[in-house]
Amino acid sequence: MASADKLINTDVPEKDVFAFHFLQSLSNLRKQNPFDTPDQKNYRVRKIKKAAYVSMARAAGGSSRLWSRALLRRADKDDNKIVRFSRRKRKVTWKISSKRRRSNQRAPVVEEAAERLRNLVPGGGGMETSKLMEETAHYIKCLSMQVKVMQCLVDGLSPK
Amino acid sequence: MDNELFMNTEFPTPPEMATHFEHQPSSSSAMMLNWALMDPTPHQDSSFLWEKSTEQQQQQSIFDSALSSLVSSPTPSNSNFSGGGGDGFLIRELIGKLGNIGSNNNNSGEIYGTPMSRSASCYATPMSSPPPPTNSNSQMMMNRTTPLTEFSADPGFAERAARFSCFGSRSFNGRTNTNLPINNGNNMVNNSGKLTRVSSTPALKALVSPEVTPGGEFSRKRKSVPKGKSKENPISTASPSPSFSKTAEKNGGKGGSKSSEEKGGKRRREEEDDEEEEGEGEGNKSNNTKPPEPPKDYIHVRARRGQATDSHSLAERVRREKIGERMKLLQDLVPGCNKVTGKALMLDEIINYVQSLQRQVEFLSMKLSSVNDTRLDFNVDALVSKDVMIPSSNNRLHEEGLQSKSSSHHHQQQLNIYNNNSQLLPNISSNNMMLQSPMNSLETSTLARSFTHLPTLTQFTDSISQV
Repeated sequence: MASADKLINTDVPEKDVFAFHFLQSLSNLRKQNPFDTPDQKNYRVRKIKKAAYVSMARAAGGSSRLWSRALLRRADKDDNKIVRFSRRKRKVTWKISSKRRRSNQRAPVVEEAAERLRNLVPGGGGMETSKLMEETAHYIKCLSMQVKVMQCLVDGLSPK
Repeated sequence: MDNELFMNTEFPTPPEMATHFEHQPSSSSAMMLNWALMDPTPHQDSSFLWEKSTEQQQQQSIFDSALSSLVSSPTPSNSNFSGGGGDGFLIRELIGKLGNIGSNNNNSGEIYGTPMSRSASCYATPMSSPPPPTNSNSQMMMNRTTPLTEFSADPGFAERAARFSCFGSRSFNGRTNTNLPINNGNNMVNNSGKLTRVSSTPALKALVSPEVTPGGEFSRKRKSVPKGKSKENPISTASPSPSFSKTAEKNGGKGGSKSSEEKGGKRRREEEDDEEEEGEGEGNKSNNTKPPEPPKDYIHVRARRGQATDSHSLAERVRREKIGERMKLLQDLVPGCNKVTGKALMLDEIINYVQSLQRQVEFLSMKLSSVNDTRLDFNVDALVSKDVMIPSSNNRLHEEGLQSKSSSHHHQQQLNIYNNNSQLLPNISSNNMMLQSPMNSLETSTLARSFTHLPTLTQFTDSISQV
């Protein structure tokens, strides 16, 4: 559907690619953390979630997308979140102030929504609105693919 | 009758002129003549005249020659003039020239290309194709038997043409534009025959260099409309950008109709043709009439009618349209967004959808962690060990080149290997049939088939361990 648009390419690979990467990350998780105690369920959940996102970012084409790069970067140094946030905010303000000269404030409705999107989509802080839209489209596709894979896995592995 | 009108030094009433000159090739020339002589306030009908006149190429040539004769000292070089050009009137001579040229037009339109390249390019007149024949109402203008050679052999023609080009820039603009094009006649030749003066305007405007004169002539009042028009032509034809002919051709068909609409008494001379130009992928924010620079990679933009023309608003407009495009893209992705109209609501929907997807991921990961502890160990290990890393080096590959079919095919191969291995066991094959049906309802990819093996494999391993 969107891949019909020649200018904006939002192709994502097939489901098995996502599945492959997800399973791989899960297996790595198993090898690293062999515990299954309920105390650390939250920790486990978070780990799995992080594994899901990271594998999604890798499956969707590692560094060819801004959001995937940001995701991977975030995963690698998740103790530096605060630093990243401030950098993000600074970038946003710089861009907006530099471009908002005499024009009409850039349709504040759109900009508000864009701000909210930026918070949602990883790596959205340093992008302009149009680029943000592209990234969002690709991100949505990848997210839906990942959700499908995980759903399948859950259904396949849940006890009958 | 024509002479009477010409003798009328005041600006003639346009409808009169229009009706009179409707089917004559000299209408444009007459109009332009008057325009050159005095600075008329363009009326709605005068624009109509423009429209009428510009649809015929020959009129431009007539105009050019008329003006050239106007510039130079009048030297009657036509011998076939059958009208009333024998007076000492400048105008009459002009008419003579017009008649001469008008008669010559039919035979050799191509000859115009070379000798008139200078003047032609000034006014963006495509000389490539011979002008269409016009009806011969007036005896003055319709004498077509004379060959063009006479005209082209005019000794002072080149000189007049040269002077004419200077004349054009000076008189019509009030500003000197020294960089008049010389060899853009070739470019013009490439254009379609329909590319008239007016229609070339939008095309050329788009290709003007990116330098912007904020609040420039385009935002002036009506009086500057013809000036602006004529000024734009010489300058825009000077732009040797490669996309020139392309855009011109593209806009040639459209420009005729569009320009005819927009001619009437508009305060700002802008035309709208943004979609095509943005789709070109090359660009130039067209807003001024300075001499061209080497072609750069800009996006061709044309300001819309009734909107500001400074670079900022143009850029804003481009940006808005980009955002609009991508919103449409997102609309297709997000289910249920078709009914919603308006950017704000749609963006809210999109944000909600992204949030819901993220929540789903979180929920599923929770489920995965809680439900599949033991099973997951078995299955994942089995699955991964069997097919994963037949090429462990492919990991890096996959990260980058996952969009290709080959990579997905490779994955498929790996999964198939697993499938084949498990199918060696007869128990599992029967179980596969049972399990495949519910799974197929969920998804139909090979993933489903591969996953059906997982529980069966665990069952198999359980049975084995029991034994």
